[in-house]
Amino acid sequence: MTGRARARSRGRGRGQEPAAPGAQPSVSQEAAKPVMPPPPEGQLVGRGRQKPAPGAMSEEAMMQISAGFQQVKIGERGGRRRDFHDSGVHTRQLMEHVKESKTGVSGTAIELRANFMRLLSRPLWALYQYHVDFKPPMESRRLRSALLFQHEETLGKAHTFDGAILFLPNKLHNTETVLCSETRNGEKVEITVTLTNELPPSSPVCLQFYNILFRRILRILNMQQIGRHYYNPDDPFNIPQHRLTIWPGFVTTILQYESSIMLCTDVSHKVLRSETVLDFMYSLRHQCGDQRFPEACTKELVGLIILTKYNNKTYRIDDIAWDHTPNNTFKKGDTEISFKNYFKTQYGLDITDGNQVLLVSHVKRLGPSGRPPPGPAMLVPEFCYLTGLTDKMRADFNIMKDLASHTRLSPEQREGRINRLISNINRNADVQNELTTWGLSFENRLLSLNGRVLPSERIIQGGRAYEYNPWTADWAKEMRGLPLISCMSLDNWLMFYTRRNADVAQSLLQTLNKVSGPMGIRMQRAIMIEYEDRQESLLRALQQNVARETQMVVVILPTNRKDKYDCVKKYLCVECPTPSQCVVSRTISKPQALMTVATKIALQMNCKMGGELWSVEIPLRQLMIVGIDCYHDTAAGKRSIGALVASLNQGMSRWFSKCVLQNRGQEIIDALKGSLQAALKAYLKYNNSLPSRIIVYRDGVGDGMLQSVVDYEVPQIMQSIKTMGQDYEPKLSVVVVKKRISSRFFARIDGKIANPPPGTVIDTEVTRPEWYDFFIVSQAVRFGCVAPTHYNVVFDSSGLKPDHMQRLTYKLCHMYYNWQGIVRVPAPCQYAHKLAFLVGQSIHKEPNMNLDDFLYYL
Amino acid sequence: MCLMRTHSRADLTKTLAMTTPFSPPLYMQRYQFVIDYVKTYRPKKVIDFGCAECCLLKKLKFHRNGIQLLVGVDINSVVLLKRMHTLAPLISDYLQPSDGPLTIELYQGSVTEREPCTRGFDLVTCVELIEHLELVEVASFSEVVFGYMSPGAVIVSTPNAEFNPLLPGLRGFRNYDHKFEWTRAEFQTWAHKVCRDYGYSVHFTGVGEAVGHWREVGFCTQIAVFQRNFHDTMSNAKRLEPSVYRLMYRVVYPSLSDNNIYQRTLVNEVLYEAQHLRQEWLSRMNMDSSNNAHFCAPPLMDVFQHGLEGGTRDCQPVYQQGGTICVPLARVWSSPRVRALCGSVQRLREELQVDSRVRMSADGTVLILPAAADDEDDEEVEEEENVKAVSGVANNVEEDWDRELGCYGNV
Repeated sequence: MTGRARARSRGRGRGQEPAAPGAQPSVSQEAAKPVMPPPPEGQLVGRGRQKPAPGAMSEEAMMQISAGFQQVKIGERGGRRRDFHDSGVHTRQLMEHVKESKTGVSGTAIELRANFMRLLSRPLWALYQYHVDFKPPMESRRLRSALLFQHEETLGKAHTFDGAILFLPNKLHNTETVLCSETRNGEKVEITVTLTNELPPSSPVCLQFYNILFRRILRILNMQQIGRHYYNPDDPFNIPQHRLTIWPGFVTTILQYESSIMLCTDVSHKVLRSETVLDFMYSLRHQCGDQRFPEACTKELVGLIILTKYNNKTYRIDDIAWDHTPNNTFKKGDTEISFKNYFKTQYGLDITDGNQVLLVSHVKRLGPSGRPPPGPAMLVPEFCYLTGLTDKMRADFNIMKDLASHTRLSPEQREGRINRLISNINRNADVQNELTTWGLSFENRLLSLNGRVLPSERIIQGGRAYEYNPWTADWAKEMRGLPLISCMSLDNWLMFYTRRNADVAQSLLQTLNKVSGPMGIRMQRAIMIEYEDRQESLLRALQQNVARETQMVVVILPTNRKDKYDCVKKYLCVECPTPSQCVVSRTISKPQALMTVATKIALQMNCKMGGELWSVEIPLRQLMIVGIDCYHDTAAGKRSIGALVASLNQGMSRWFSKCVLQNRGQEIIDALKGSLQAALKAYLKYNNSLPSRIIVYRDGVGDGMLQSVVDYEVPQIMQSIKTMGQDYEPKLSVVVVKKRISSRFFARIDGKIANPPPGTVIDTEVTRPEWYDFFIVSQAVRFGCVAPTHYNVVFDSSGLKPDHMQRLTYKLCHMYYNWQGIVRVPAPCQYAHKLAFLVGQSIHKEPNMNLDDFLYYL
Repeated sequence: MCLMRTHSRADLTKTLAMTTPFSPPLYMQRYQFVIDYVKTYRPKKVIDFGCAECCLLKKLKFHRNGIQLLVGVDINSVVLLKRMHTLAPLISDYLQPSDGPLTIELYQGSVTEREPCTRGFDLVTCVELIEHLELVEVASFSEVVFGYMSPGAVIVSTPNAEFNPLLPGLRGFRNYDHKFEWTRAEFQTWAHKVCRDYGYSVHFTGVGEAVGHWREVGFCTQIAVFQRNFHDTMSNAKRLEPSVYRLMYRVVYPSLSDNNIYQRTLVNEVLYEAQHLRQEWLSRMNMDSSNNAHFCAPPLMDVFQHGLEGGTRDCQPVYQQGGTICVPLARVWSSPRVRALCGSVQRLREELQVDSRVRMSADGTVLILPAAADDEDDEEVEEEENVKAVSGVANNVEEDWDRELGCYGNV
C-alpha cells in the first residue's frame, strides 16, 4: 500500500536498451526441458565469448544454456571479455606420457608456503542454475528482477539474476516453481522458475561467480578498482619530486588448481600521478620552447595511459589534436555542445586554459550493448591524470630507488601483507555476511606444499669443472683466472672516445689487456680514434674507420643518452655488420671497480665475436633448443618484433639468432617460420645432420593468448620443420614460458621467512590440472621477493620424462653469457629477449644476416 | 504491496519526443533545477528523499557548491545496495583532495517516519515523490518534513495534471503508480496550507513549458520551493546515529579539511617545489663546472629572467652548505600551489616544522636537502655469505637421458 515504488519512481538517466522486438524467445517449450549434464569441458573455449544480452536471446542460445554453460556469463557491468586465465585450454590430455603424472623426482624436498588460499564450501555445495520465465513477457530487466524478488522468502537472500538466468546457492523444493507477482497497475504476472542445471563447485560458471563475488568483497573492504586489480586509496605513499602516488593493492584470481579451488593473491602497486597532462605540457613547453614543443609533446605523450578526473576510466593517448581546443564542439544527442560547456554542466568542472589542445584516444571498447566503438574520444588535458612511469622515469636511478624502497617487499613483508588481507576478510562482518549467505568461506591461512630443490649444476669451462654457491647462484668469482672454452683473439679492433674521456679510454685499454690474458684472450693494441661529442661526428668516425677486417668496435659514450648508442648500433648491425661494444664513461670512471668492469667487458666482447665461455652437461644428443620472444613497440607504430635464437652445438654455447619485424595484422610466428628454417639449415651446416629433437621455449605469450599458441603456432612450427624434408620427423616439444605471474613461494630458512633457493621446482597443488606445467625458481635475488617462472609444456612428442624436462630447463638457465650466474628463463629466451629489445629500441630494422651466428646483441 | 519499476519515464519522454520534445529531457531539467538552486543558495546539508538510483546525488556530488553532507533516503534497500558504489570517491578525489569535506550517506527508510538524524538540514528535495503517496500519507509527509525535520528549504516537484492533455496517447495518470496528479490550484492549496501550518513561505515554478497558446496550462512538472520563516535551532546539533532508518552506506570523501591529508598534500607540494629548485641549481652548477666560459652566460641570464618572472624582488638564491643544498622557504612560498594550500608564510613554516619529512634550518627560513644524489653503487655490497648446503651438489655420475628414454618405452 505505501508503495515502495514511490521512492524509485524518479526518472532514470540513460537507460537500458529494450530488447529488440521479436527477439523475445518463445520460452514456453524451454521450461519443460529436463536438467542436462554439462558437456565435456574440452569445448569450453574462453576467447571471444560474447556476453549475451539478457532477455534478448535467440532460441538457439537458450538451448545452449540449458544444455550447459557455453554462453552463460554471469552479468556484471564492464565484465571482462577476454579470458585472462587461459582456462579451457586443455593440453595435458593430449600427451600420453604425462596423463598419469607430471611430477619430477630429482632433488631434495623443501617445505614451502604459497600465496594461495583454499576456497571452502559446505559439503555437496552446488550452484543451482534456474531459468526464469515471465508470462506475459516483461521487457525491462529491472522490472523482471523486481517482480522476481517479491518472492525473497521463497528464493532466499543470496541470488544472482541477470534477467533470464537465476543462480541460487540452495536448491528450491521443486524443479519447477510457479510464482505469482502483481505489477502496481494490477497486471498479474506468472513467473516460472525452472531448474536447468546443477553446477558443481569447479564448473567454469562457478569459477566466474567466485571471482565476481571476490571483487564484491574487495569493494566492501573499500578498495578501488583500477584496471583488473584493486587498490587501497587510504594508505598511499608519495614521491613528491615527481608527484607520484603509489597505492598498495592486490592481484587476485580464483581458479581450479591441481586439487582444489583456490584464491591466488599477490601484492601489487599502482603508480598514479597527481599531475594532469596539462601540467605536464606546461613544464614540457617551458623546457624545450615553443618550437620543439609539438614534436616533444607527441613523443612523450603518445602511448601513455591517462585517467580522467570525472570518472574512473583510463584511456591510451593515441594522438594529439593540435587544431582542437575545449571551445570546439561535439554532437551530444542532436545538439552541438562545446567541450567547455559540457564539462561545466555535466560535472561542474571549469576549464581554466581555453587554448589547450585536446588528446585523442581510439577507443576499442564497444559501445552500449555491443554496438561498435563510438569513435575516437577527445579528451581535455586538464582533466586527465598521467598514470604509470615514463621511460624517462624508469631510467632515473633515484626514482626507481625510491619506488623500490616502497614496492620491493621482502618475503616476510609480502607474506605479512597477504596475511593481513586474509585476516581482514575473516574479520569484516559485511564480508563474512556476503560469504556465508552463499555458503562459502576461505581457509584462513596460506597453502603449505612441498617443492624440490634441484641439485646445482657443474659449470664446465674448457677442461675444468667447478661448482658455485647454490644460494647466490653466480660464479663470477669461481671463474676468475680460468681460461674460457674458446677465445677469439683481438688483432684488429678500434676504440672510439671523446677528448674528455681520453684518460679513461687509456686505462680501460690497459685493464682489458691485463684481464684478458688469464682468460686466454690474445689482445693486440686497439687503434684509438677520437671523435667529437656529436652524433654526426661519431657516425662519420665510424664510417671512415670501420673496415671489412675490423673485428670489434668499442665506443666510449660520454653519457647514457640513447641517441648515440642507437646510432652506433644502427650502423654496425645493419649497414656495416661488425660486433660492437658501447661503454658509458661513467661506468669505467671509478678505478677501484675497473677490474670487475673490464672483466665483464672482455667476456662480452668475446661472446660477441663468437667465443664461448662455459657450459653445463646436457645429457641429450642431437638436440636443438629454440627460444622465442617478442618486443612490442608501443610508441612507434605499434609494430611488434619477434626474435628466434637456436642452439647450434651440444654444449649450448653457440647460437643462431634471427630477428623479424612483424607486419600489421600478421601473427608473429608467420614471420618467424622462415627464421626457424634458417636455424635448422645452420644446425645442419654445423653438425652435418639435422637435430632429432627440437625443444621450443616460447616466451612473450600474453594473458589469454595460450589458445592461439596451441591452435596456431604449434602447427606452424611443425609445418616449418616439415619443409626440411618429408621424412624428417624430429621429436618436438613446445614450452610456454611465463615470467609475469602472481604465484609466489615462501620458504622457512633458519626460522625466518625467506625466498626459496635457486633450483626450487614446484609441480603440485598450484599447477593446473589441465596442463603439463611446473614452476622453477632459478635465479637468486638479493633484495625483495624472488619471482618463480612458470613453464607450460603445451605440446610434447619427445616422451621426455617430466623430471628431465624440468632439469633440462633449469640447466638452460645457466647458459646466459651476459650474466655469470643463473637467470630467470632459459638462456635462448633471454637471448631472444635481448635481441628483440635491441632491434625494437634502437635499430628498428632487421639486422644484417652476416651477424646471425654471433651473439652480437649482448 | 507492489514494487514497480517505472518504465513510464522512458515511455513518457519517448512519446513527448514525438510532438513536443523537451530538450534536455525533463528529468534532466528537474535535476538541473536543484543544481541551480544549490549553486545560488549554497546549502551545506542536503537530503534527497526517494533517491532511488542516486542519480541526483551523483550529480550533486559533482556540483557540490559547498555541500558537506549529502544524504539519500529510499524505501527500497535493494536499489540502494546496487547503486551505492557509484557514489564512492573517484581516483582523482584521492589524487587531488577537494578543499571542503563531503560525506555521503544512504539510508533505507520512509519519508512518513520520524528519524532524528534527518533534522537540521538546509535543504530537502522531494523530486517526483509525493504523487506516489496516498493522500492520507501526504499529510504525514507534510508533518514529518516540515514539522519535524523543519529544514531551511524544501523543493517539491510533482506532475501538473493540466498539462496531461498535451501528452499524446496518455490516458489516466502519467505513471501507474501515481495516486494522484494535481492541478496547479490543488498543488498550491496544499503548499499554502503547509506554509500556514509550519511557518514556511513558498513560491511556485516548474520545468517543461508548452509552446504557443498552450503555454497557459503551465509547466509539465510543477515545482514548489519552500523557505522556512523562522530561525532554526538545530543546524549545529550533533550528528546522531540513525534510530529508525537503516544506514546502508557511508563514505567520507578525502579532503583538505582532514588534517592528515592536508599535511600530506602540503608537504608533497613543498618537496616537489624544493626538489625542483635544487635540481635546477645542481644542473646549473654542473654545467658551470664542466664546461668552459661560454656556458656561463646563459644560466646567469636565466637567473635574471627568472627573478623578473617571479615578480619577487627578493629572489633569494639557492646555495650549498657542506653536504647539503639550502632552499629558502621564500622561494618555495612563491609557488602558487603552495600559496593556495596555506594562506601565509607563517603558517607554512609552522606546518613544515612539525613534519618529519622536511628538514629545516633552526630559524625556519631555509629547507635543507641533500646535495648529492645517493650513490648508485651503493648496492654493490659484496656479501660473503656463509655457504649453506641447499641440496646435493651435482652428482658426478654422467647421465644420458637418451639412453634412459630407450628404457622408458617407445612412446
